[in-house]
Amino acid sequence: MAPDAHALLSVGASAIEQSDASRSGRLRRLLTLPAKLPRWSWSVAARNGQNVVTAFVQIWANKGRSILTTLGIIIAVTSIITVVSFVEGFGNYMTNMVRGYGTQFMIIHPQRPPSRQSVGLRRVTLNMADVNAVHADCPSVNRISPFIYTGDGEIVYGVEKIDKVPVRGVSEHYQTIRQFFVDAGRFFGPVDVATAAHVIVIGRSVLKALQTDDSLIGEHVYIDGTRFLVIGVLQSKGSNMGEDQDETVMIPYTTALRLYPDLKDRVRFLAEATDEGHIEQADAEITRVLRQRHDLLPGQPNDFIVQRQDQMVKEFETIKTVAGSILGGIVSISLLVGGIGIMNVMLVSVTERTREIGLRKSVGGRRRDILMQFLTEAIVLCSLGGVVGVALGIGISRIASLHPDMVPLETPAWCVALALVFSAGTGMIFGIIPAFKAAVIHPIDAIRHE
Amino acid sequence: MMTSGQHNSANPTRDAASPASTPPPRSEPVGLGRQDAHAVPVIELIDLHKNYRIGTEIVRALRGVTLSIAENEYVAIMGPSGSGKSTMMNIFGCLDVPTSGEFRLSGKDVSKLSQSRLARIRGCQIGFVFQSFELLPRTTALKNVQLPLMYTQATKKRARAMAALDRVGLADRAKHHPNQLSGGQKQRVAIARALVQEPDIILADEPTGNLDSKTGEEIMAIFDSVYSEGQTIIMVTHEESIAARCRRVIRLRDGYVESDTWNDRPSKPSSETAHDKREARLPNDSHRLAAAS
Repeated sequence: MAPDAHALLSVGASAIEQSDASRSGRLRRLLTLPAKLPRWSWSVAARNGQNVVTAFVQIWANKGRSILTTLGIIIAVTSIITVVSFVEGFGNYMTNMVRGYGTQFMIIHPQRPPSRQSVGLRRVTLNMADVNAVHADCPSVNRISPFIYTGDGEIVYGVEKIDKVPVRGVSEHYQTIRQFFVDAGRFFGPVDVATAAHVIVIGRSVLKALQTDDSLIGEHVYIDGTRFLVIGVLQSKGSNMGEDQDETVMIPYTTALRLYPDLKDRVRFLAEATDEGHIEQADAEITRVLRQRHDLLPGQPNDFIVQRQDQMVKEFETIKTVAGSILGGIVSISLLVGGIGIMNVMLVSVTERTREIGLRKSVGGRRRDILMQFLTEAIVLCSLGGVVGVALGIGISRIASLHPDMVPLETPAWCVALALVFSAGTGMIFGIIPAFKAAVIHPIDAIRHE
Repeated sequence: MMTSGQHNSANPTRDAASPASTPPPRSEPVGLGRQDAHAVPVIELIDLHKNYRIGTEIVRALRGVTLSIAENEYVAIMGPSGSGKSTMMNIFGCLDVPTSGEFRLSGKDVSKLSQSRLARIRGCQIGFVFQSFELLPRTTALKNVQLPLMYTQATKKRARAMAALDRVGLADRAKHHPNQLSGGQKQRVAIARALVQEPDIILADEPTGNLDSKTGEEIMAIFDSVYSEGQTIIMVTHEESIAARCRRVIRLRDGYVESDTWNDRPSKPSSETAHDKREARLPNDSHRLAAAS
């Protein structure tokens, strides 16, 4: 028995030595961790690099299936990019358009405040006396033009008749404030306004609809049965926000008030600040004068709105962001669908490759190695879909921009980055279940799997 | 040099497990075994039990096996199906843990280790050779051999894989994919993969089961040469002719060791065909390799 005991002892001693060694080894490893970190991280990087290579090999080997699977992600990312590009493009177009008018003027119109706040208010009105008071008492306001508007005029010239023409009753200053001039004939002057003359300036689109040209100047047309002398034709301004600006006629506001007496308490007006720096000032002055005239108490809301162009630009920016986020968010739901497709195919892949998993485990692959391998594959698959989707989305936006009636679409960089991150994230979220399933496969069962 | 006395001292309970046969001392000197290795057996099972639960029934696959396998042994494990040899191989390979008893691999009790430690051990200390090769398709022979190194922090992975391929005589097939290789070549790649980590043991599960007899012979020649270089090999087989090549034959029945015999005169390749002559160069090749490295 002596040799046995000796052997056991020596085994025991060596075991103790081993545990000692491993303990001091652990300490040493801990102390030299910073020095070993580069090597360790390099090895992790190398292993992950290997996983990426394996993933590409696998994806390439199942080309057809990979493409079909990724299609969900591709379509999702393509639509996100396209939708956001559209919103961004249109938004930029609109803000630029508003800026193009000049931001120096503002539009004031009567408006009943939201119901709860309007309790105790009198009838909401804005009339010519208010307009005149603003003109008289606001030093920061330069020019002013009432704006009597009906979108429902009927114009008759000879046998031609057109309905629903926007009729604007304005003063002689309107053309200067809006930079909207005539290019044939003349605009009406102060005398026409003062005498409420039956003169009319016609937009190009209306002229076209009446099947005539500049020779109409000097002729007579009928607006809602009243005879008007055509004295000028407006220059062409094109369309803005889907509204054809040339489809309009302008008459002196005094005439318009006689034609549409119902509008005399619902007058709007344009006010131009003396210069860019006095917009805020002009806004404050107008607000003070109108509140005073309308006998509003402190704490009561305004019964009118001062719509500043610079504020409109800000509003458009806000609308653009909100619309972009909402639409992008709705479309992102399709990423979920794509992700489910990825999960499905990864589950199939895990089952198909059970033997490979068994082999990898028997040659030293740990659970986390297998997990990382399959997770990497899902992420690579989704990221590829993301990249293709971004390319397609940008391509579609570019092609759509080529259409002459289309505004230039812009793909913001944040959207591209977000789409790529989200598609990779989709791979991570939907890849985790298949990867986990692969990781917990028992090597014995796996290697016997048929 | 290993003697019978030392053998018994390292394995005190062998007689209890297999009263029929005390292996006689080996008359034949073995290959290039590591000199200090005889102190601790590579594999040591002490009263090892393994139960499985299949549904409500408990299957007792191993019922108290005690045995020990030393460095540089060449062991065949035989037995009818259901005798527990697969279970035993799984435990040897750290793919499964015993229900009770002790399993020491190179002196270290591995029955209580975590899954991830077991994976480490599988990667570093055990080389598997499977009946159906289990090569990764669409991956070159070289990459297949490199696979175990991918899970370690080993350096010079490519060179080591190349050397392992050279040992099985397939250095010129490194860039081939498995579907471009014959069955015998595939199994040789698989052996190279098992060798690449220089494992303590090679576990071969019916390595010639899917091959015709001539190719099987070729594979056995490689095992012989690897053994002569000092490698410990444990092989599960049904074929008596394969078992006859091994130096020790352990027969299992119903979860017990039925017999454990030493084979003094392992059979040599049956006929010296031209093919075998080519294979016979292999050990020389690998000596040359060893000298070069």
